[in-house]
Amino acid sequence: MKMLEGLGKIDRRIIFLAMTIAVIFPLLRPLYLVGRVGRRTEELYKAIDRLPERSFLLISIDFDPSSMPELYPMYLSILRHAFAKNLRVIVMGLWLTGTGLAEEGLRTCAPEYHKIYGEDYIFLGWKAGITAVMFGLGRSLKETYPTDYYGKPVDSYPILKEDITYRDIPFMVSLSAGVPGYETWIAYAQTRFGIKVGAGVTAVSAADAYPYLQSGQLTGLLGGLKSAAEYEYLNEKAGYAKAEKPASQLMDSQSLAHLLIMILVILGNISYFAVRRKR
Amino acid sequence: MARSLPLSLCFIMGILMVIQFFIPHPISQSFLDIIIKWVRIIMAFALAIGVRSITFRHYERIKRQKGEWGFSLVTLIALFACAFIGLFGGVGPQSYHRLIYNHVMVPLGATMFSILAFYMASAAYRAFRARTKEATLLLIAAFIVMLGMVPIGTAISPRLSDLAEWLLSVPNMAAKRGILFGVALGGIATALKIILGIERGWLGGKR
Amino acid sequence: MHYLLIFFCTLAPLGPIEVFDTPSDAGKCITIKWQPTAGEVDSYEVLRKGEGEEGFAVIGEVASGECSFLDNKVVDGKVYFYKVRAVKGGTILESEVSEAVRSSPQWFSLYRLNVLIGIILFSALVLYFIYHARRGKKLFIRRISGLDAVEEAVGRATEMGRAILYVPGLGSVSDIATIASLNILGEVAKKTAQYSSTLLVPNRDPIVYTVAYEVCKEAYTNVGRPDAFKGDNVFFITDQQFAYAAAVDGIMVREKPAANLFLGMFWAESLILAETGATTGAIQIAGTDAVHQLPFFITACDYTLIGEELYAASAYLSREPLLVGSLKGQDYGKIIILFLLLIGSGLLLLSALRPFKFFSILLGFFEVR
Repeated sequence: MKMLEGLGKIDRRIIFLAMTIAVIFPLLRPLYLVGRVGRRTEELYKAIDRLPERSFLLISIDFDPSSMPELYPMYLSILRHAFAKNLRVIVMGLWLTGTGLAEEGLRTCAPEYHKIYGEDYIFLGWKAGITAVMFGLGRSLKETYPTDYYGKPVDSYPILKEDITYRDIPFMVSLSAGVPGYETWIAYAQTRFGIKVGAGVTAVSAADAYPYLQSGQLTGLLGGLKSAAEYEYLNEKAGYAKAEKPASQLMDSQSLAHLLIMILVILGNISYFAVRRKR
Repeated sequence: MARSLPLSLCFIMGILMVIQFFIPHPISQSFLDIIIKWVRIIMAFALAIGVRSITFRHYERIKRQKGEWGFSLVTLIALFACAFIGLFGGVGPQSYHRLIYNHVMVPLGATMFSILAFYMASAAYRAFRARTKEATLLLIAAFIVMLGMVPIGTAISPRLSDLAEWLLSVPNMAAKRGILFGVALGGIATALKIILGIERGWLGGKR
Repeated sequence: MHYLLIFFCTLAPLGPIEVFDTPSDAGKCITIKWQPTAGEVDSYEVLRKGEGEEGFAVIGEVASGECSFLDNKVVDGKVYFYKVRAVKGGTILESEVSEAVRSSPQWFSLYRLNVLIGIILFSALVLYFIYHARRGKKLFIRRISGLDAVEEAVGRATEMGRAILYVPGLGSVSDIATIASLNILGEVAKKTAQYSSTLLVPNRDPIVYTVAYEVCKEAYTNVGRPDAFKGDNVFFITDQQFAYAAAVDGIMVREKPAANLFLGMFWAESLILAETGATTGAIQIAGTDAVHQLPFFITACDYTLIGEELYAASAYLSREPLLVGSLKGQDYGKIIILFLLLIGSGLLLLSALRPFKFFSILLGFFEVR
C-alpha cells in the first residue's frame, strides 16, 4: 500500500528525465510509427496536387521561430510538393520574424528540384500594413511589391514579368501561428477576392479553424506536427520527395511523450485512490 | 485637467474609431492608417521609457551589488551591445545583429518553449485526479485526444483519431464558443465603459 | 458582326449584363453580372471601354461556372462600358454593350449594418442598467472565488513578509484583457499599500509599463501612503515573449513571492509561468480571456478567472453601482444572444425545407463582412 501511495510522490526531476528519454530515444532509434492520413490533410494535399503545371501557388509564412517545430516541416513539405508539380511558387509573409525561415526553406528545397530563383519561384519578403498588402494584391502584385526581398524589381524576373493579382493565383496556403494569419487571409482575400485558401496551424489552434472548414472558407488544414508528418508521407508515397522527414521523426517523440504523460496520470490516480481508500 | 484631458481624448478617439469601422470610404482608411502610424510612434517612444526602466533597475542592483547582481551586469552588456551592433552594423539578412538573433535569441526562445513539454508532464501528473465524475469524464476525453493525435493511437484503433477529432470539433468547440461569446460581450461592455469614462481604473486612483 | 452563328454552335444568346458600382466599398471597383448561357462554355471574358478610349479590351476571364466579375482597376468618377463574351472552343458569343457606369466610394458599409444594430442594442442595455444602478437599485453579482482570493493572497503575503508578484499579461494596452488587468492592479495596489506589502509588477509592453506605473503610484497616493510606493518595483523587462517568461521565472525562483497573480493576455508562456510559480509554493490566481491558455492555468493555479470574469473584476472588487450595472447589461445581452442562437438554429433547419427557403435570406442578415 505504501508503494501505491508513493506513486503519487515521484520527484519532478525523475519525470523530467523520463520525458527527456521519451523525446530523445526515437530521434536516435526511429520507430517509424505510421498513422492514418487525416481527411483535412488529404484535402489540402489534393488541392495542391490538382493544380495544373506552372500555376501560381502563394505561400504566406505567418509564423516566427517559436512555432518553427510544427510549422516549418509543413512549409518544407508543401514547397517540395509544389516544386515536384512544377508550380510557380510565390513566398511572402505577414510576420517580420518569419522571413529568415521563409528564405531558409527555399534555400533547402529549391536545389533538390533544380529550381531557379526568378523563374520557378520568388521571395517577396515582409511588408508593413496588412490590409494594404491584402487589398493591394487584389489590384496588382507589382504595385504592392515593387521589389522582391533582395531589393530587385519584381518585373525583372521572368516569373512576374506580367503583373498578376489574386485572380491569377488559383490557390494559396497560409502557415500561421496566430494573428495575422489564415483568418486575416480569409477575412480580406478570400471573402473579397474569392481566392482559395488552405492553412497550416499549430495543433493547439487547429480546432479554431474547423468552423472555416465547415463553411468552405478553408480548403484543407494541416493541424500540428501530426499533419506535417502525414503530408510528408503523402509526398513520399507519390514519389515527390525522398528527403529526410523531420515531422515524421518528431512524431515518434510526440507519441512516446503522450504515452508517458498518460502513464504518469494513471500512476498519480492509482496513488490518489490508494490514499482515499486508506482514509 | 490632468484627468479630464485623457478622458476627453479617450472619448473622442473611441467614438471616431467605432465610426471608422462602418465607413469604407478611403478617407476612413487613411484615418486608420494615420492612427496606426501614431500608435507605432508612441510605442517607439514608450520603448525608450522601457529601456530607461530596465537600465536604471539593473544599474541600481550593480551599484549596490545587491543579490545576484552579476546577471544584471550581463543584461546591461547584452542590451547595449546588441543596440550598438544593430545601429552601426545594420539589421539586414547578412548583418551581425541578424547573426546574434539567429544563433542566440532563436535557440533560447526554442529552449524556453520546449520547457513546456516537461512542465506539461509534471502539471498533468500533479493535478489530473479523478476526484469527481466530471473530472473522470475529462480524463477519459483527454486520453482519447492524446492517443488520437499520435500514430500509436491509430495503431490501436483507427476510430480513435476520428473520435478525437469529434471531441475537438464538437463539445470542445461548443464550450470555447460559449466562453468566446462572454468574452466578446465583456469586451464590448468594457470598451463602452472606458469610452464613456465610467471605467477609470486605467487612469489610476479614484474613479 | 461579332455574333458567330456557326451551324454546330449550341450557345444561346447572352442576355443583357448588369453593371453597377460595387456597394459598400472604398471605391475603384465595379461589379459585372450576367446570366449564364444555356449551353456549356469554356470560359467568359470580360471587356471594358473607358470614356474617351478607342475600343474594348479584355480585362479578365472567369471559369464557366461563374457569372460575375469584380473590376478593381478602375478610376473613380470615370465612365466605363462593359461587354461579356462566352467562349467555347473557337466560338465566341458577345453580349450587348452595358449601360454607362462609374465607381465611387461609399460612406457606409451596409454589410456591417447588423453589427451597428447589435452594438446600439447592446449599448442601450448596458446604459439602461447603469441608469438603474445610479438610481440606487441594488444589483446582485454571484460569487467569483478567484476575486475573493485576492484579499486572502495579499494577507498571506503580508504575514509571510514576502512579495506579491503581479503579471499584467503579455498583451498591449489595446487588448481589453490588459485594461481589465490594470483595473485589478489598482485595487491590488491599494491593498498592498494598506498592508505595507511589496508589490512586483514586471511588464512586457512599454506602454503597459507606463500605465501600470501610474496606476500603482495613484493607488498608493489615494490610500495615503505615497511614501511607501517604490517605483523600481514596477518595471519593464523585454518585449520578447520567452525572454519575458524566463525573466519572470527567475524573479519567482529568486524572490519567492507568496502570491502570484497572472491576469491579462497570455500565450504559450502561460504554463511556464504558472508551473514555475507552483513549484515555489505560492498561492496563484490567474485570469485570462485567451481560451487556449485556460486549461493550463486551471491545472497549475489555485484560482482561475475564466474569460469575462476577468472583465467583471473591477466591478466585483469595487462594488461601484455603475460598474455593477454594466455587468447586468452584459448578462442580459448574453440571454438575447442565446435566444437568437436558438431561433437562428431553428430557422436554419427550416430553411432546408422548400416552403421555408426564404428563411435563409433572414439568416444572411447575421453574416458579417
